[in-house]
Amino acid sequence: MKKLIEVDHVSNERVSNVQFSLTEGSLTTIIGPSGAGKSSLLLLLNRLEDPDKGEIHFKGKKISDFPISELRRNIGMVFQQAHLFDGTVEDNLKFGPSLQKKWEPNDGVKLLAKVQLPEEFLTKEVENLSGGEQQRVAFARTLANNPEVLLLDEVTSALDMRTVELMEELLHKLVQEEGKTILMITHDLKQAKRLGSYTLFMNEGKVEEQGETSSLFQQPKTAALKHFFEG
Amino acid sequence: MTNISNLSLLTMILFVMIPVSLSYLFSLGIGKSAIWSSIRGVVQLFFIGYVLTFLFSMPDWQGIGLWVAVMLVIASLQAAKRGKGIPYAFLLSLSSLILIEVFVLSLWIAFDIIPFQSEQVIPMSGMIIGNSMVATGLAFERMKNEFHDSKGKILAALSLGANASQASKMIIRKTIRAAMIPNVDGLKTIGLVQLPGMMTGLILGGASPIEAIRYQIVISISIFSSVSICAMIISLVTYRFFFNRKLQLLEGKGGRK
Repeated sequence: MKKLIEVDHVSNERVSNVQFSLTEGSLTTIIGPSGAGKSSLLLLLNRLEDPDKGEIHFKGKKISDFPISELRRNIGMVFQQAHLFDGTVEDNLKFGPSLQKKWEPNDGVKLLAKVQLPEEFLTKEVENLSGGEQQRVAFARTLANNPEVLLLDEVTSALDMRTVELMEELLHKLVQEEGKTILMITHDLKQAKRLGSYTLFMNEGKVEEQGETSSLFQQPKTAALKHFFEG
Repeated sequence: MTNISNLSLLTMILFVMIPVSLSYLFSLGIGKSAIWSSIRGVVQLFFIGYVLTFLFSMPDWQGIGLWVAVMLVIASLQAAKRGKGIPYAFLLSLSSLILIEVFVLSLWIAFDIIPFQSEQVIPMSGMIIGNSMVATGLAFERMKNEFHDSKGKILAALSLGANASQASKMIIRKTIRAAMIPNVDGLKTIGLVQLPGMMTGLILGGASPIEAIRYQIVISISIFSSVSICAMIISLVTYRFFFNRKLQLLEGKGGRK
């Protein structure tokens, strides 16, 4: 399988000498304690921050060689909090595509269907949505750009069980049917086990251990990961 | 107009003593400050009275040029204090205030609204510059606070492919709106809730209410326009300072890392 993203000895204030790659059409999970540098790593991949050392490649090319807006559209990011813009759900969904004048009237309904929200939501003011609905709209807003890679920062942490199931189903579909590549931070170890084919364990800014999700969970090698699993 | 004698003016001490007594009675801790502010205000006003008398005795263009320049520099220094951390805050304040003053004064003179006389131009320019100074300072502060409070939304916008201008649009809109709203509200109730200062002054000075209203209309609308333009200039120029060339949001309230 083709390596879509390669992170090569990347360091900055919060991450240290990070190295891994993401295979096209895979779902990789990142686990680790709070303050381990997981969110900072996602910011680096979306170029919302730059590393002090090391290189990140996307499709074999340095990410710094891409026009920034184009790169960010291709490597979409969903934050831990929804951060919706003032206005309606539709205003939010069309934000990205409208910047390129690519918004079609029917796109909103299709995007809402992906995150299992009804059509009527399009005209709702975002302030009237529940936390879970807001998070799903934020997810759909990122999908609106049709990115090849999705960076997800604990997007299911504030959702109820039913919505978590729906979102996990969607993630499966995005990988299996649409060939998306997903890098997802989660605090829920069971979720990491359920969803990931590959897992990174981060601790104190470093990727301490990485590997196939099943073997990483069955046979943790480092003391830090064993300690993390013990809670 | 009746002259207020020095003795009558001295009775104002009684008015000052009321808040001072209240401060001591309720331990508000502002007694000294109230006395000091009152003394400072009186001295400052007498000083300005003599300065204006001197300016009005000079040829109009000299008096106007000199005092408007002084007002512009003082106002810019004051507005720039609120823009601490934003690069070129003083120069930015000064340029926008000069632009506003030149724009408003040119229209007043070109349309024969007021004559180019120190007695007319200096006090009216003072009102324009003063209000624009407040609007400039508030725009600086609002931009810093909004960029701090809306960091998540801006990052979300950038992550969706927005450039700095597109990601800041909501903040620019809020800043201009915040500067305009008090004036919109003020214009709605003008004269109904309280008589505006300029109008009151003119009526006390012996002008007819209709004449006073004409001046008030000119100044109120000019102020409305000036503060809107100021907020627009400040927000449209300063948002860039919150990003680097790689379209990354810079940390810190003033935008700089």
